[in-house]
Amino acid sequence: MNLNTNLKAENTYDAIVIGSGISGGWAAKELTEKGLRVLMLERGMNVEHIKDYPSAMKNPWEFEHRGKLTEAQKATHPVQIRDYPYQEANEKWWVNDLECPYTEDKRFDWYRGFHVGGKSLMWGRQSYRFSDHNFEDNAKDGHGNDWPIRYKDIAPWYDYAERFAGISGSKENWPLCPDGEFLPPMDLNIVEKSVKARIEEHYKKARIMMIGRVANLTVPHKGRGNCQYRNLCSRGCPFGAYFSTQSSTLPAAMATNRLTLRPYSIVNHIIYDKDTKKAKGVMVIDAQTNKTMEFYAKIVFVNGSTLGSTFILLNSTSEAHPNGLGNASGQLGHNLMDHHFRCGASGEAEGFDDKYTYGRRANGIYVPRYRNVGDEKRDYLRGFGYQGGASRSNWQNDVAELAFGADFKDKMTTPGKWTMGLGGFGEMLPYYENKVYIDKTKKDKWGQPVLAIDCEYKENEKKMRIDMMNDAAEMLEASGMKNIKTYDNGCYPGMAIHEMGTARMGKDPKTSVLNEWNQMHEVNNVFVTDGSCMPSIACQNPSLTFMALTARACDYAVKELKKKNI
Amino acid sequence: MHRREALKNVAFLLGGAISATTMGVLFESFTLPENEKNYVSFTADQEKVLAEFAEIIIPTTKSAPGAKAAGVGKFIPMMVKDCYPAKMQQAFAEGLKEMEAKSLKDFNKEFLLLTVAERTKLVGEIRDETIIKKKADKAAKKNEGYFFVIARDLTILGYFSSEIGCTQARSYVAIPGRYDGAAPLKPGQKSWAT
Repeated sequence: MNLNTNLKAENTYDAIVIGSGISGGWAAKELTEKGLRVLMLERGMNVEHIKDYPSAMKNPWEFEHRGKLTEAQKATHPVQIRDYPYQEANEKWWVNDLECPYTEDKRFDWYRGFHVGGKSLMWGRQSYRFSDHNFEDNAKDGHGNDWPIRYKDIAPWYDYAERFAGISGSKENWPLCPDGEFLPPMDLNIVEKSVKARIEEHYKKARIMMIGRVANLTVPHKGRGNCQYRNLCSRGCPFGAYFSTQSSTLPAAMATNRLTLRPYSIVNHIIYDKDTKKAKGVMVIDAQTNKTMEFYAKIVFVNGSTLGSTFILLNSTSEAHPNGLGNASGQLGHNLMDHHFRCGASGEAEGFDDKYTYGRRANGIYVPRYRNVGDEKRDYLRGFGYQGGASRSNWQNDVAELAFGADFKDKMTTPGKWTMGLGGFGEMLPYYENKVYIDKTKKDKWGQPVLAIDCEYKENEKKMRIDMMNDAAEMLEASGMKNIKTYDNGCYPGMAIHEMGTARMGKDPKTSVLNEWNQMHEVNNVFVTDGSCMPSIACQNPSLTFMALTARACDYAVKELKKKNI
Repeated sequence: MHRREALKNVAFLLGGAISATTMGVLFESFTLPENEKNYVSFTADQEKVLAEFAEIIIPTTKSAPGAKAAGVGKFIPMMVKDCYPAKMQQAFAEGLKEMEAKSLKDFNKEFLLLTVAERTKLVGEIRDETIIKKKADKAAKKNEGYFFVIARDLTILGYFSSEIGCTQARSYVAIPGRYDGAAPLKPGQKSWAT
């Protein structure tokens, strides 16, 4: 008995954080800094800052396959290879799909990285605030449920998150994309400056273009080095120049001496105590030994990525919660969303042949949403933004088909045309029927059931894509571009790696899983602050919002804990 | 910039120069059963043949050494074995043999013994035949992989990612440290390697 008591004491913390990605790292930092002893559980391997970025300083010729994948890698990663992110330089950070299968009722490209830091190591780093337009859209057009918060509730937490993470960008005074606490912006190149000026003149500032707001440091910040313009971020940055768990939140949490980080810890379910009506802790499978164990805490933060967290909640069944933890509303697993993109236009810029670029800017341009604002009513709801940029290629486009020889070599090594591209990122509406659920007919490597995903874009998204393509061409035309080409390469949910929804916040416990503090309506010591909490997704890249919501929820949770309300 | 720009940059720098087939193989989903890996093998002589072939595609010029010096002769067969599906490996291996046979037939000499002028003529003819075959296959919606296309693609990829390709044929700065979006283009300036 003594042994058991000791073990229980040893495995008991003030708080458990499930997941170590962007939101999990923030939860660990905030909770430890507020005095809690925290256990952060990560299902994959450890990745130590700098030391475990073996490819970070490699030159192109130091990669055996020059960045390309082998047939063997393709065989074990049939989902990860559907798009570009899984590459030779960072292959160890993408899951082996055979070990972690899932069921696709409809095609859904699920990109996953199981390791300390999660996708904070490979993320796109674009960081935009949501605006009141975004928080009000659900209530206004009746899709999804109303957000329980407004911009004023989160604004100070955006300030807080930006100040710590280090977001570079320019102030634009654009209501749909509020300004923040920015480090100096990166530069637009000469073609982008011209396009910006001509778009803003042509549309009389009803559309604007800016440099991307990005979690790359333009000046040293909190002991981290500034961006070296190598554009190799997804290998891990030895300068700590972009925000990741490793560069930013983990060192802060570790500095408190109150964080315990346990890699290879797969949370199978949250343990519910029917007497206290609270979560008691979590059951963990050790990913290496397959042994199960339990950990206990006063509060549990669920930050296992949108679908990872939702799986854990759906898998946490008990007599009181037969359909998953905190799922009396029946909304858990529903309203899955992702941005739709891969359509836009590109064109050639003339008159800049005497200029070139120096350095590889890990950032592009941004055109914030301008559609369906004010009195405008398109034949679809909500809107989209653009990312893109201008760059200078070689003369390869002028060479004959399958050309070779000295002249070909010369053209391949001579700066050629400037081109400018705009690619749309569109908001997807929340649809109840876009859902995930547990499929017990399949098992993963550790014997757990798997997630089934049933999600598709609908008419609103399809109609929006026509504008996304045509508006891009029109803006390039207005900017004086030549040879403008439009494209729609097709898109499946999951491809933007911005999957959100499935455990939404809301005012009413009957129609939502979490309250305005990301706290579960039914189980008040469980908080979910990753992408699963989102009632709508706007068209902006979402990670900054996860950071702000997490910091805000941690602040509330600790206050409630101190008041003994939890 | 979105993550996707990273791939676009790779695609962009090699650009129209690389075939859609190779872009597909290298970036998209081709898988093959376990037992079909390393379907073909290549002899040391064939590596020499491929090195000379690659040197015709990207020859040594005043500005920089060519594909042979950059080690592309070994790179091509390694990539074909590791990174291409069985069918394409086979098409490649057959095409290589056909090129060697054509050399004997047209010049009564082995490929390695041809003069540069002879090799250039031979490679040009194979290129022309490949263009015709591709057109016919496209009409019939076939894409079986072509020796010339794969060998040329891998020459371009291998060369422009090699140390010679990056630092001599193009310019390479490992750590730029800053960004200038309006740098004056100097006369004779080479394009950036990455």
